[in-house]
Amino acid sequence: MDTILEARNLTKQYEDFSLSGVSVEVRPGSIVGFFGPNGAGKSTLIKILAHQAPAQAGSVRVFGLSYEDREREIKNRVGYVAQEPPFYADKTVQWTARFAAPYFARWDGAGFYGLLEEFRVNPLKKVKHLSGGQKKLLSLALALSHGADLLVLDEPTAGLDVVYRRALLERLRAFVADGERSVIAASHVTDGLDQIAEDVYIMNEGRLVMHEDKDELLSKWKWIHFRDGALAPAIVDRLSNVQRQPFAVSGLTGDFAGLRQALEGALAAGDAKVQNAKLEDILVSLIKGA
Amino acid sequence: MDPIVRRSSFFYLSTLVIFSAVLGKYLGVDPWPAFEVIPLFMPVYLAAAVLSSERGESYGFLRMLPVSDRAIVRRKFGLILGAAAAYWLFMMLVALARWNSGVSGPSTLVYVTLVCGCGLVLAACCQVGIWRFGLPLTTGVTAAFLAVSLVMAIVHMVGLRRRADWPVLTQLAGVQWLAGAPWLSVVALAGLSVAVLWGLMRLGIRMKVSSEAYL
Repeated sequence: MDTILEARNLTKQYEDFSLSGVSVEVRPGSIVGFFGPNGAGKSTLIKILAHQAPAQAGSVRVFGLSYEDREREIKNRVGYVAQEPPFYADKTVQWTARFAAPYFARWDGAGFYGLLEEFRVNPLKKVKHLSGGQKKLLSLALALSHGADLLVLDEPTAGLDVVYRRALLERLRAFVADGERSVIAASHVTDGLDQIAEDVYIMNEGRLVMHEDKDELLSKWKWIHFRDGALAPAIVDRLSNVQRQPFAVSGLTGDFAGLRQALEGALAAGDAKVQNAKLEDILVSLIKGA
Repeated sequence: MDPIVRRSSFFYLSTLVIFSAVLGKYLGVDPWPAFEVIPLFMPVYLAAAVLSSERGESYGFLRMLPVSDRAIVRRKFGLILGAAAAYWLFMMLVALARWNSGVSGPSTLVYVTLVCGCGLVLAACCQVGIWRFGLPLTTGVTAAFLAVSLVMAIVHMVGLRRRADWPVLTQLAGVQWLAGAPWLSVVALAGLSVAVLWGLMRLGIRMKVSSEAYL
């Protein structure tokens, strides 16, 4: 199968927000990250992709099937983690698992309780007494315990401490390691998912601003640090996020290949140096420039 | 048993047991006015079961599971139909048991079926209302409707005891006409109620499928 998920021209209109013409493609074995500021439309998109909210226009096909015809089959193979997992608040973790288990064709009870133990979530505790992070971990345990081939995660690391965040990131890497399964995650850039995402979508105000392979993206975007006056003004004008300090200037470029030749003199003379940009820098630059 | 049905059926069963234990016994021992008034409580109990089963329901969680909105709506409406049928069967059996004593008659069968049919439709409207307008608003409207109905039922009961010319619901012209062929009327009324329920279920499916997860 070439694609695990394919979405075309998704549109969703709310009173004060609209998602416009977003298309997404997820290949097997990939971790796809949706990044953007608050209100960018990441959660709305994730909900549509996981069939939690209907789109007003556009189509979603998962494993080559549509939710309209094969919802049960698709959901058996998709693990979804909501931004705020909507469990029965008055029920226990154990009750929640017993409720969900009969609906999944490949439910792994032992695996689920193993994950709860690893995540230190007490199965006898009522959901309303769990912290936000624990609810997220419970949701992750459910998503990982029914043989899913695709994980759709909305801010999965939010509310998790650094230990669980790292454990989760490792688990997601391992999940896609066989090259058959994939992960889709929406996130604020700074929470670690930017480190493991291979395919990057950047969103702002309900639109897709950019989609690119992360390695290619990072090869294009670089910080240029240079001595004040070492670069021609025409080159400096091509930089964004320009920050001036005494005797030194820094600027970001999204076209390092195009700028490289012009920089060679300054680089050779030691008047300029190049530093890899972080996804967060790119995001800020794109959002500010939009 | 299906977990969605299991969770909701607790509320339907408990209200049915309470109805049978608290009110149903009057049908078995009291004179004929019991069959005038007690069936009127059936819509109250059934609507209360719908409202209480929806309190704390998490459609967001259900949508995470491999079960379609269509299947969820069918299960919910199946429960309403099953509960209404249980109330109806209970009252019909008691009516038939007291047939020879003259307490019940053909018009009682028609009247019980008519009230249970209305209760079924009311409960289904309640369910659709919850999906369309949310639980708080639907609870308020239903509670107000049921309160007025109960007051009218109590007034009716008091009237039956004190005034000779008070209208007797089982003796109304329409009920009497239907009681001319009681079993045919019972089947027709039940069929009509189920047809309306079916229509409301289709509406419910359309609404659920196009709704956000939490509704």
